[in-house]
Amino acid sequence: MTIRALEKVSVGQNGVGAFILQCIKMDIHYCDQSGSSRGMNSFIKSELSKFAALNPQIEFAVSPRPRKHPLIIGHYINGKQKSICVRNMHALQILKKVELLRDSSGEKTKKVNKPVTSINESVRGVWSPYHGNGMPV
Amino acid sequence: MLAPEQIFNEEESHESSEESASFQQANLPRKTLPSPHPDRAPRSAKLAALHARLSLSKKIPLQILARTLVDPSADAHPQFNNANLAFVGASLLQYHTSEWIVTRYPRLPMGIVFSAMNGYAGGPALLRIARAWGVEAAAAPGEKVDPGYLQYSREKPTVLVHKWGYARAEVKELEKYKWRRGMSSRVIFDDPFGNTVSKEPKEPKDPKDPKEAAELEFRQTRDPDNSEIRDGDQNAHANFVRAVVGAVYLYCGSEAAKTFIKAFVLSRTLDISNLFSFRLPQRELTRLCDRENFDPPVARLLSETGRLSRTPVYVVGIYSGYDMLGEAAGSDLESAKIAASINALKSWYLYSPPNVSLPSDTFEEGAAPWEPAYIDMGEIIS
Repeated sequence: MTIRALEKVSVGQNGVGAFILQCIKMDIHYCDQSGSSRGMNSFIKSELSKFAALNPQIEFAVSPRPRKHPLIIGHYINGKQKSICVRNMHALQILKKVELLRDSSGEKTKKVNKPVTSINESVRGVWSPYHGNGMPV
Repeated sequence: MLAPEQIFNEEESHESSEESASFQQANLPRKTLPSPHPDRAPRSAKLAALHARLSLSKKIPLQILARTLVDPSADAHPQFNNANLAFVGASLLQYHTSEWIVTRYPRLPMGIVFSAMNGYAGGPALLRIARAWGVEAAAAPGEKVDPGYLQYSREKPTVLVHKWGYARAEVKELEKYKWRRGMSSRVIFDDPFGNTVSKEPKEPKDPKDPKEAAELEFRQTRDPDNSEIRDGDQNAHANFVRAVVGAVYLYCGSEAAKTFIKAFVLSRTLDISNLFSFRLPQRELTRLCDRENFDPPVARLLSETGRLSRTPVYVVGIYSGYDMLGEAAGSDLESAKIAASINALKSWYLYSPPNVSLPSDTFEEGAAPWEPAYIDMGEIIS
């Protein structure tokens, strides 16, 4: 055999083929007494069941956290967490935050300078100085 | 096929909740189950979320999804672990992957086909797929674990999906003395990844259930020398993915299973041109040109710069008659020539015919008749 095969593992790109929502779990914490949780309590009563039904991919865990501000924690497939304190927000504001956590990929936010990042090879190829007719000086 | 209720009601060790209540009333010590009771599956939020995340059909019950998460190392009973489902899934995965590779790249050498199979459907790839699905492993398997966790035991020996069929008679010598085995014999005698199949499924040490073990057809692997088994983590995750494929096949049919495999396994990116490692590219190219009745290959210097400098660059093209087969740049003439030969060989091997249909496309009702795919005559130097 003159050819030896190397071992490589295929690389997945989320959304190519199938899309997996990266948020897997959301912890929703509230307090019964504190005024900062008033919006959160009404969110849990009125909005959460609708939101959970629309997003069955996410596991929701609602638990009280007495004498603390209300909190949402999103857990992601990459093992990271993102938490947002939603004190004094009303239900619709909290819904926005919950949607933000749902749509997040779990990666740290970073500045994106390039319009496209791709693992595919460039269709046009890489420019080579050794090909074509050189410019006469 | 049995309905899930029938399966789950058969075994006396996994009683329904009423029976276990009567056990407790009689003050009998209740045996703890090795894995969660299937009745708990519909109430697990994790499991329902996983079901939705994979966009599985409603036809696949949550109990079956829970069963795919139980590795044989956690629960040895074949009706409660995923070994059987994983076997079905493994054969489907290997079938669809191999037909996809072979029809897309009909000229690949067999070693590269095996490597590509491993890259798409082998253990490491399936481990990554399982991780990308957001499946977490339970710290230890048991009755009280949430059914949405992957359950396998790190201490206990795990189980490989056993392959039916031929095991080489000389498998001991192959392992002990590292006998050579040719590529053609791997096609016939070995598994879809070109690895040897061990001779005998080892007898389970537990003498209680020899019948079950025989019907399960798995290999109990207890020797620490087998490196594949040492990675119980990878094996459990891979078996889970295989079992999900098997469950999709059993409940939704072969078309759904094919779509599932396409969406989750074959859509991943593997650059096949990176799998090649050539030893004698120039000789191989000469043999190829000879075989295909091309003019013998000739290397020509296309351009050069800085021959007397510290960093010269030569661009060499390999020509067969007037046709350029490949070209490459290198810092000396010899390495440029070798790189150009490698490029020429890769462009031969990686030929991909446009718009090929797969053999499995004809399984559908009312499918178009099969058009034979292009098949290459084989290896250049075997």
